[in-house]
Amino acid sequence: GTVTEKSNGAPLPGVNVLVKGTTTGTTSDFDGKYQISANTGDILIFSYIGFKTVEITVSGGTLDVAMEEDAAKLDEVVVVGYGSSTKKDLTGAVESVSTKDFNGGAIAAPEQLLAGKTAGLQVIPPSGAPGSGGTIRVRGGTSSLSAGNNPLIVVDGVPLDQTGQGALNYINPNDIESFTVLKDASAASIYGSRATAGVVLITTKSGNAQTPLRFNYNSYISFGTNTDKVDVLSAEQFRQTVNQFGNANEIALLTDSNTDWQDEIYRTAVTSNHNFTVTKGFKNSSIRASLGYINQDGTLRGTNFERTSAAIKYVHRLLDNSLKIEGNIRGALVNDEFGNQGAIGAAIAFDPTKPIRSGNDAFGGFFEWTNTDGSPNTISPRNPLGLIELTDNSGNTRRVTGNLKLDYDIPYVDGLKATVNLGFDYNDFNGLSIVDPNSAATTQNGTTTVSDALNRNRLADLYLNYTTDIESIKSKIDVTGGYSYQRFFRSGRSVTTDGNGTVTAPTPFATQNSLISYFGRLNYSYDDRYLVTVNYRNDASSRLNPRDRRQGFGGVSVAWNLINEKFIQDSNIFSNLKIRAGYAETGQQEINQDFGYLPRFTTGDDQVRYQFGNEFVTTIRPEEFDPNIRWEISKTYNFGLDYGFFNNRLNGSVEVYFRDVEDVLNFISVPAGTNLSNALVTNIGNLENSGVEFTINAVPVQTEDFTWNANFNISFFDNEITKLTLTDDPSFQGNPTGGIAGGVGNTIQINSVGFEQNSYFVFQQVYDGAGNPIEGLYVDTNGDGQITPDDRVRFKSPNPNATIGFSSNFIYKKFDMSFTFRGSFGNYNYNNVASDRGNLAALTGANVISNVNTSFLETGFQNPQLFSDFYVQDASFVKLDNINLGYNFGKIFNDRADLRVYSTVQNVFTITDYDGLDPEVAGGIDNNFFPRARTFLLGLDVNF
Amino acid sequence: CEGELDLEPIVEQTSASLFEDTDSYRQFIARVYAGISVSGQQGPAGNPDISGIDEGFSNYLRQFWKHQELTTDEAIIAWNDGTIHDLNNHVWTASNEFIRAMYDRIYFQIALTNEFIRQSSESQLDARNINGADRDEIRAYRAEARFMRALSYWHAIDMYANVPFVLDDQDPGAFLPRQASRQEVFDFLVAELQEVAPLMVEARLNEYGRADRGAAWMLLAKLYLNAEVYTGEAMYTEAIGTLNNVINAGYSLHDSYDELFLADNDSNGAQNETIFPITFDGLNTQGFGGMTFLLHAPVGGNQNPADFGINGGWFGIRTTNVFVSRFADITGNTDDRANFFTDGQTLEITDAFNFSEGYLVEKFSNLTSAGEPGSDPSGNFGDADFAMFRLADAYLMYAEAVLRGGNGGDTGTALNLVNQIRERAYGDTSGNISAGELTLDFILDERSRELHWEGHRRTDLIRFGQFTDLVWPFKGGVQTGSPSEAFRNIYPIPSTDLIANPNLNQNTGY
Repeated sequence: GTVTEKSNGAPLPGVNVLVKGTTTGTTSDFDGKYQISANTGDILIFSYIGFKTVEITVSGGTLDVAMEEDAAKLDEVVVVGYGSSTKKDLTGAVESVSTKDFNGGAIAAPEQLLAGKTAGLQVIPPSGAPGSGGTIRVRGGTSSLSAGNNPLIVVDGVPLDQTGQGALNYINPNDIESFTVLKDASAASIYGSRATAGVVLITTKSGNAQTPLRFNYNSYISFGTNTDKVDVLSAEQFRQTVNQFGNANEIALLTDSNTDWQDEIYRTAVTSNHNFTVTKGFKNSSIRASLGYINQDGTLRGTNFERTSAAIKYVHRLLDNSLKIEGNIRGALVNDEFGNQGAIGAAIAFDPTKPIRSGNDAFGGFFEWTNTDGSPNTISPRNPLGLIELTDNSGNTRRVTGNLKLDYDIPYVDGLKATVNLGFDYNDFNGLSIVDPNSAATTQNGTTTVSDALNRNRLADLYLNYTTDIESIKSKIDVTGGYSYQRFFRSGRSVTTDGNGTVTAPTPFATQNSLISYFGRLNYSYDDRYLVTVNYRNDASSRLNPRDRRQGFGGVSVAWNLINEKFIQDSNIFSNLKIRAGYAETGQQEINQDFGYLPRFTTGDDQVRYQFGNEFVTTIRPEEFDPNIRWEISKTYNFGLDYGFFNNRLNGSVEVYFRDVEDVLNFISVPAGTNLSNALVTNIGNLENSGVEFTINAVPVQTEDFTWNANFNISFFDNEITKLTLTDDPSFQGNPTGGIAGGVGNTIQINSVGFEQNSYFVFQQVYDGAGNPIEGLYVDTNGDGQITPDDRVRFKSPNPNATIGFSSNFIYKKFDMSFTFRGSFGNYNYNNVASDRGNLAALTGANVISNVNTSFLETGFQNPQLFSDFYVQDASFVKLDNINLGYNFGKIFNDRADLRVYSTVQNVFTITDYDGLDPEVAGGIDNNFFPRARTFLLGLDVNF
Repeated sequence: CEGELDLEPIVEQTSASLFEDTDSYRQFIARVYAGISVSGQQGPAGNPDISGIDEGFSNYLRQFWKHQELTTDEAIIAWNDGTIHDLNNHVWTASNEFIRAMYDRIYFQIALTNEFIRQSSESQLDARNINGADRDEIRAYRAEARFMRALSYWHAIDMYANVPFVLDDQDPGAFLPRQASRQEVFDFLVAELQEVAPLMVEARLNEYGRADRGAAWMLLAKLYLNAEVYTGEAMYTEAIGTLNNVINAGYSLHDSYDELFLADNDSNGAQNETIFPITFDGLNTQGFGGMTFLLHAPVGGNQNPADFGINGGWFGIRTTNVFVSRFADITGNTDDRANFFTDGQTLEITDAFNFSEGYLVEKFSNLTSAGEPGSDPSGNFGDADFAMFRLADAYLMYAEAVLRGGNGGDTGTALNLVNQIRERAYGDTSGNISAGELTLDFILDERSRELHWEGHRRTDLIRFGQFTDLVWPFKGGVQTGSPSEAFRNIYPIPSTDLIANPNLNQNTGY
């Protein structure tokens, strides 16, 4: 028979067809056709991800099946860590995003595929620097202070090193099948001490058994340009300003050129991307192999990211399907040209009346500020193009990850399965940074820095799973229990040789840690109405003192599938209704150091030796340590409701959570004289997080010619620090954080009890009658008659109060169109560009004149007012992230292939009141941000 | 597999194996000394010793200098770094990050020395079976570690008065040290130095860079001279007795004042005047504090950095008209010590942030006596060492103690010693003073002329009762300057430590 898609009659390849109660099965081919031996009266089960499973009794001859898309995807298989479940059996807050919902565009970093797609998951896209990683935050990312807020990322069952974030870009986005986000602690708690910041499970694509050889070629080219520039004075305005405010020496420094340095350092960035995939299914096995190549320029001259990737996934079933072997290997070669991002700040500061080139040979021909003897002035801005042209800063990364997974149905015990998963991650980086001897950025006659880093980890998981259906008591039981071992190694070193022959080689860095864990899960369901899930993990970490390095984590969650209650079914209002509740304790073991509990000594570099007589003696230093350091513990309650109406064409969920984090690691002052530094990381604080999430998925229109899918999600966040020190002292201001430019060592944020994390800590600006800020005049908040640092107050934070995502896709005949809006509200930025360079003092000094931020024209500030709340600005925004348009030609070349062409615009527009370049800055301190380009893309996708 | 959890550090070492090797003690005592000159285990920056402040700023000597000089008429800074101007202005609070950095540096040094003293105890040496010459050498190191601890405790009581008191009998960990009175720590230091001095290498016989008996005497003399401030009880007689040891130990004034502050001051003859140096080296002892700061920060304006053997000025510190007025002739033609640079600079200061206001002081340089730049060809880091204690200071201390009524000295010797210093400065006897001119007021001014920017000024002004009364631009937060409150003779205990250690009480006034 033939399997088709009910909505449009198109053949459906890859549908699993199984004779019920047997292990006999097959898969539909490229044209949706299948062939299977069965007896009349047998029941065939047709299943396909995203479609409702169909059961039909064989009546002989051909059997054609039209499958209907399952809007609510209740039967969709969801990976949950050491196993899988289906949506209808879930008891925790788990969200899945798969291929067809991914964001379009020139995307090199996989996390960007799901920006805006799910409630409670924020993806702050990478800056414009090619190859840079985005920031992933599950439920606000405020579950820790000093430890990480990066979620644990698990690729095909192999957890990646949480310390090495931004490292996802080794995965070709084209190879990703789905992301599953374990938002809620009860779901994540199977990952125990690594679960507090959330868990993101990535599943890569695989082939299907019994499918013909198929090829896919996918390619695009895109062009990106910056949408805006930082507001600085034009050459003409600059001349006026210097003439008005400068002294005779400074006015004499003006020259006749008109250079817009920002125009000079940026360019149109071209990206090209090619993916080639082969899949083939045999009787008992399948293979998928892919090759990918992306070459992405940054808009900043001299920046480029080039990745060549390859992946093979092979699945083989043996012993009458009772042994499944899955082998997965993935490699990437990445060449980064990091360029010189110092040019971004230099372009904002450099005198616009200066020419690019001086006309003489010094400094590679670039105009530079010098001392009277012609040597470079070491504290003036450098020529931005000189920085770009005379530095070469590149790196190449070789990364291979893989796993071998064996699933074995143990004979004689029905429902018992053993799984072994062996995985590895090998990541080798080599960097080379060369500063040309002619560059004014060096007084060392040029430098060459060779660096390398090696990170690797290895994993062994062993677990048993037993499922049984006890129909007599309407119960289903699914138990998993196992053991996991993972060991991490990280190292790095760099050697700098300068043009004078001086070699600087800091002590290489190398460290290791390991985790040994036992874990288990019990799913119990009664009559498909009452569900209970218990997750447990017992972790032991080498990072902690042997006497208390092992601890149990876990959680319980329950759900009531109201839809399976007769009174709801009878009402005919709902097509899905489930309420859920869960509680879990999870940990955070990213405590920033591997041997923080151990007294130890480090050896100093050759540059910090001490002179005894004529000898320079190498030094050793005892390190601070905390023998009692332990993981952070968080306790989370989650309440959820899943709903569906109109045959699930309108569905979604509501989640509410409360999280208390205890023993929060905080970098605090130790009592003076008691340890071997003035501060160390120790477990001292408490935090509270809470939030509400709504998701609505809708299929407002579904006809033969036209389908419209829409997704809207909104998340609200709240966080507060409740404890920070050993002794409660209301006079304790808190821990300063958030370093800024302007002066040295200045910070603008603070973590204080009773306030949000990273609240800005600023003076309250006083304004004149016309609404202009009065320089140096602030509110005397403590009323002592003078303005001291104690008058600073906590004001707003970079954390949003709410984020939204809204995406839609439309299919009209052969056209398809989709877009994603993303919004963030209540998040504030500190505009460090304006605070540092929006004043007269930035114009002069050190015998040079420099450009200033145009906010100077507004404020007239003589000196930087770094700590004024004037610079803490509302950075709420709504962005149209991307809009895609595609046309499906269908069969071409005599039905030998099918073709879709598409076009995408990324970063279409941003609605914001924020004054700086882009409101979306991770951490909230906006300074020398690498602009995100607006990109136009044209692509094609061919299957043959 | 549980054994897989017992991992060992790969790069770092644990003390068990480390101290079997006797070289480790030498490396550790080197780190104790380097505690004053570097900021961490990587040069010029990286893997810092303390945190809470930019690493370059966190250096012991840099903070010591700022606390002794920026709070006086001798120096003013143009930068916009946190609360740095509060030091100039005498409006600092307990949350001032620089005051915290100084305090934390002192206690890092105390913790470091305590650890050395623990690791080198007789019982540890027995257990590690270290004997003979090695053991004698380690004993000398241990005495030096005790001296270094005393040095930092002196800084602690001089600046913070009543301070946490931790000795080597308490292992590192979570305990709350008690607060000792200034008197108690003072008494401890006097006893400790009297005990330690004989255990140290004889004056002038140790390796250059290491402290010897002379350094211990000098520190003891400093304590005695300031005893009236610290305890209310004058000890000028004891000061003279100890200074006699120093003066008779064979040190000699170098013939050139300028050469005391040059790149080769460990070998150009200046070393004969140095009682205790803090060493720096352009290639081997790097950092952004200490001499790197003192070589770069005062340079800027119309000066040519190459004239100082460096690659660039930092446009930071200048001096006030109050200090300049201490010299009748500011050209340096009569008094060599009037080392001002005035081209493009104004004498008066109306904007503290403007580097071109205030004369520049040309004292420290990375040129050698032969006029060659120091060893770092990039011009970033200098070779000049910092004299924590030098003979001219001892001479002036002697004269002061005599004038203040101490026994065991005489005014004739005092006058002679002072005039030796003046003759070097003037190049001849034209600057010599008479017995009648040798007054305490003269001593205070002469100390400023001779020892300006060497980290003595604040302690001197306090001893002479002038720290809060003397005015200079922006003191008190006003351009003309105004006196500050008497409680500012002592810095506040940083609020960070008051939070961390409930045993501590804040100093009066804060």
